Amino acid sequence: MAEHPQMKKWKEQAAKELKGKPVEALNWESPEGITVKPIYTAEDLEGLDFVNTLSGMAPYVRGPVGTMYTNHPWTIRQYAGFATATESNAFYRRSLAAGNQGLSVAFDLATHRGYDSDHPRVTGDVGKAGVAIDSVEDMKVLFDGIPLDRVTVSMTMNGAVLPILAGYIVAAEEQGVKQEQLAGTIQNDILKEFLTRNTYIYPPLPSMRIVSDIIAYCSKNMPRYNTISISGYHIMEAGANSVLQTAFTLADGKQYIRAAIDGGLSIDDFAPRLSFFFGIGMNFFMEIAMLRAARYLWNKTVSEFNPKNPRSTILRTHCQTSGWSLTEQDPYNNVIRTTLEALAAALGGTQSLHTNALDEATNLPTDFSARIARNTQIIIQEESQVCHVVDPLGGSYFIEALTGAIIREAGKIMDEIEALGGMAKAIETGMPKLRIEESAARRQARIDQGKDVIVGVNKYRVKDEAPGEVLEIPSTVRDEQIAKLKDIKSKRDSAAVKKSLENITKVAEKGGNLLEATVQAMRLRATVGEVSDAMEKVFGRYVATSRMISGVYSSEYGDSDVIKGLQKRTATFLKETGRRPRMLVTKMGQDGHDRGFKVVATAFADLGFDIDISPMFQTPDEAAKMALENDVHIVGASSLTAGHKTLVPELIKKLRASGAGEILVIAGGVIPPTDYDFLYKAGVVGIFGPGTSIPDSADKVLTLLEQKYLKK
Amino acid sequence: MTQKELDYYVQGVTSQNRLVMAKTITLIESTLPAHQETARAVMDALLPHTGKAVRLGITGVPGAGKSTFIESFGMMLTQKGLRVAVLAVDPSSPRTGGSILADKTRMEKLSVNEQAFIRPSPSSGTLGGVARKTRETMMICEAAGYDVIMVETVGVGQSEVAVASMVDFFLVLMIAGAGDELQGIKKGVLELADAITVNKADGDNIDRAKMARQQYSTAMHLLSPPSPDWSTPVMMCSSLTGTGLAEIWDMVLKHRKIMEEKGELERKRHEQSRLWMWALVKEGMEEWFYKNAQVVNLLPLIEKEVVGGRITATSGAARILSFLQNYSLTTT
Repeated sequence: MAEHPQMKKWKEQAAKELKGKPVEALNWESPEGITVKPIYTAEDLEGLDFVNTLSGMAPYVRGPVGTMYTNHPWTIRQYAGFATATESNAFYRRSLAAGNQGLSVAFDLATHRGYDSDHPRVTGDVGKAGVAIDSVEDMKVLFDGIPLDRVTVSMTMNGAVLPILAGYIVAAEEQGVKQEQLAGTIQNDILKEFLTRNTYIYPPLPSMRIVSDIIAYCSKNMPRYNTISISGYHIMEAGANSVLQTAFTLADGKQYIRAAIDGGLSIDDFAPRLSFFFGIGMNFFMEIAMLRAARYLWNKTVSEFNPKNPRSTILRTHCQTSGWSLTEQDPYNNVIRTTLEALAAALGGTQSLHTNALDEATNLPTDFSARIARNTQIIIQEESQVCHVVDPLGGSYFIEALTGAIIREAGKIMDEIEALGGMAKAIETGMPKLRIEESAARRQARIDQGKDVIVGVNKYRVKDEAPGEVLEIPSTVRDEQIAKLKDIKSKRDSAAVKKSLENITKVAEKGGNLLEATVQAMRLRATVGEVSDAMEKVFGRYVATSRMISGVYSSEYGDSDVIKGLQKRTATFLKETGRRPRMLVTKMGQDGHDRGFKVVATAFADLGFDIDISPMFQTPDEAAKMALENDVHIVGASSLTAGHKTLVPELIKKLRASGAGEILVIAGGVIPPTDYDFLYKAGVVGIFGPGTSIPDSADKVLTLLEQKYLKK
Repeated sequence: MTQKELDYYVQGVTSQNRLVMAKTITLIESTLPAHQETARAVMDALLPHTGKAVRLGITGVPGAGKSTFIESFGMMLTQKGLRVAVLAVDPSSPRTGGSILADKTRMEKLSVNEQAFIRPSPSSGTLGGVARKTRETMMICEAAGYDVIMVETVGVGQSEVAVASMVDFFLVLMIAGAGDELQGIKKGVLELADAITVNKADGDNIDRAKMARQQYSTAMHLLSPPSPDWSTPVMMCSSLTGTGLAEIWDMVLKHRKIMEEKGELERKRHEQSRLWMWALVKEGMEEWFYKNAQVVNLLPLIEKEVVGGRITATSGAARILSFLQNYSLTTT
């Protein structure tokens, strides 16, 4: 097709309006590297083979289901987990009554990593960021009074996936619900844990075997159950842009297909039960186009395996609005952000949605914030009238062209991964992780420069904000769980439990279905930790190796006086004291979110700091040993899941006890402002909440060090 | 420097105080002249306490699994009751001066082991460069009673020569590749090797590892061994499963026994000290040269002449050197 007949005229007119600037100046380079033009025409649709297709038919760009929301709107599914099973149960019952249509369970970090609540490594983690589950007894309390044959349950579990899924099966069984009646989803997406969230237990190979054992067991016994939710959400939250999110998620999916086929299944046995989970950020049209492009690419990917059932090639997805886009500052703005993101997910054609609560940047939602979050979706569904048309943006020159661009760019990366031998191999090379971290560092630099605007953070800041209401996790949760564990262990048939655990070890070693073996053990009241240990004997516990990028932050930021000024100060510090400012960045507890800590590490190194990085999952003792041995000036402890109130003061105590009290300690991450006083009293000298810019935090750190070490 | 200050460092190190060890290393790494003066006194005082450890240099191409090897090998040694120190040098950015020291993320178990001391250091930030820091850090660890000291180095550049010239035993890690094994690592590095081990010999990689070992064995015959009493063995190990690690340690001990019996160990260390002194002299001369006010003025002028094509590089160099000849060392 030729250029639009009036395009020349349009450009002339634009040039006039721009008063001499070239029209190209209006082009916007998206974080994905896609150039977005100021206007699109029919010419931009040339060569796109999916335009003017229909929903419910290949390539499914316009939606996985024919009628889409015109018949059924998406499922409102709010992810939640409070510290104990009892509290979570009460919350689920309330939210089902208030319009939630499915449950989504968040587990605490100890459970994720396969530790019982009484394990010494998890003192700071029990009941944090989700519910603590140690055995079937906790599961039964969690789902008490909730009919599991009718309510679909989504469980975010990847590491300790076997004991948790088995616990759910047994809890349902004891409610009188048969396995074939169970409907819902278990995340079971272990590959992305190695990429971003780090809540794995075993190395990649045995982890993949667990995934294929679950797929095999469920395809036989639980036909209505989604055995895996292939998640891009965490990849995006770790800093990936839309193209990276799409490519890595679908490549993960392809790897699972290969694993299941290698396990002896045929593609149509399981592919219809694969589901996806995408993260939706603030780049409105890009998010919509991403979901459309993902459906196209998945259809293409699965088709390579020659399925007979067309359902095998359909991408169905849950979405969640971005947690990263939430800010601690001026938090009511988050409602507006979440609304836009929710609308993007709907216009992109999601099957279910979680909307974040306005205070989720710093803490678990309160009843108030959870209600607003839920109502955000209900208002879109029931007030805005957007549900009357399938894919309402289909045919928009811009949306279709953008969809095409994401298909092209993500397709390239998927080809690259194929060339490496698939996602598991690619992960071994470290390629995906480095790309994500690079993307994260670039984004941080754009935010810090104000190129990407975040209202209330780098523009239109509010002075003297009052701290909001915060949900506090009582520190007694761990004690309660420990008491329950003792009780269960005293009442069960220990010999039978021991035998069932030995059987798990045997199956892990010699073959057989691990989920089947685990269901037997959980029935007998084996604990999550015991089951995990039984497999660890054979599989070992995985230790991630960190590769770090450098130079990306400063190169994205470019030559600026801010960066140069900070570099000059670190150089002065070297000249005056004989070495560069040296900082240990560490993560204590079982929280595996490492974006913040890696972005800080790479950016601070670019500013001329010597940065030590600790392994993940440290105890305060271990972090103190490392700080002392490396003789750092300052320790930055990153915390995203409420461990800060126990772990950080403990670290300070350990440092003081070993004579290294002069090492300063700062804390960063998701820390509610109401905890600041507590931390300052414990000896923390600086706290950096979400949204703190790198130059600001570096300035504060340097000021602290200059005051302490430079001659006045 | 006061006697009290000297005592703090010397007594702290020799009484195996981890905190003081760490501070002593910081002291010798410091660029401040005052710190360097103290450091010299401390090192002189520590000298009688040094020399007893097994000094191991470990190198290999990126991806050969050096850190993982050190983690597993180190853990094995601590289980034998030995105390292990690991020194790792990470590159500093030449542009920003900063560095990322991530070695401990790859040595998760060893880094929290009470029997182990791991100290990563940035490559720049001291005048003496990699070699001086590492050598003196090694001596500090020896004085603190560590039995085995491992120095890790990236296997592609100049640093191997420096590391090989400060250790008793230089181990080169290799992995099985696609027939291009010898290309990734410099031949010169293999000539420094007291042993080569093919790492990652586990799972379905064993056959390829065996083949690689065979190829290296053949290749090593073409190179001259580092000592007349020792021919460089090529071994196989897996840091993952632990196979072959005990054999490597036995071999290190065997090497030490032979070298001690033949008096080679002592000779080697003396020779290392001698070369070390000259390396320091050379470094000191360079430093002195570039800091000299007249040189600082003279250099750009001569450089300009050479770059402008008005004089040749040779006569430019001659002019600079003739300046040095006429320059009295006593004037500053």
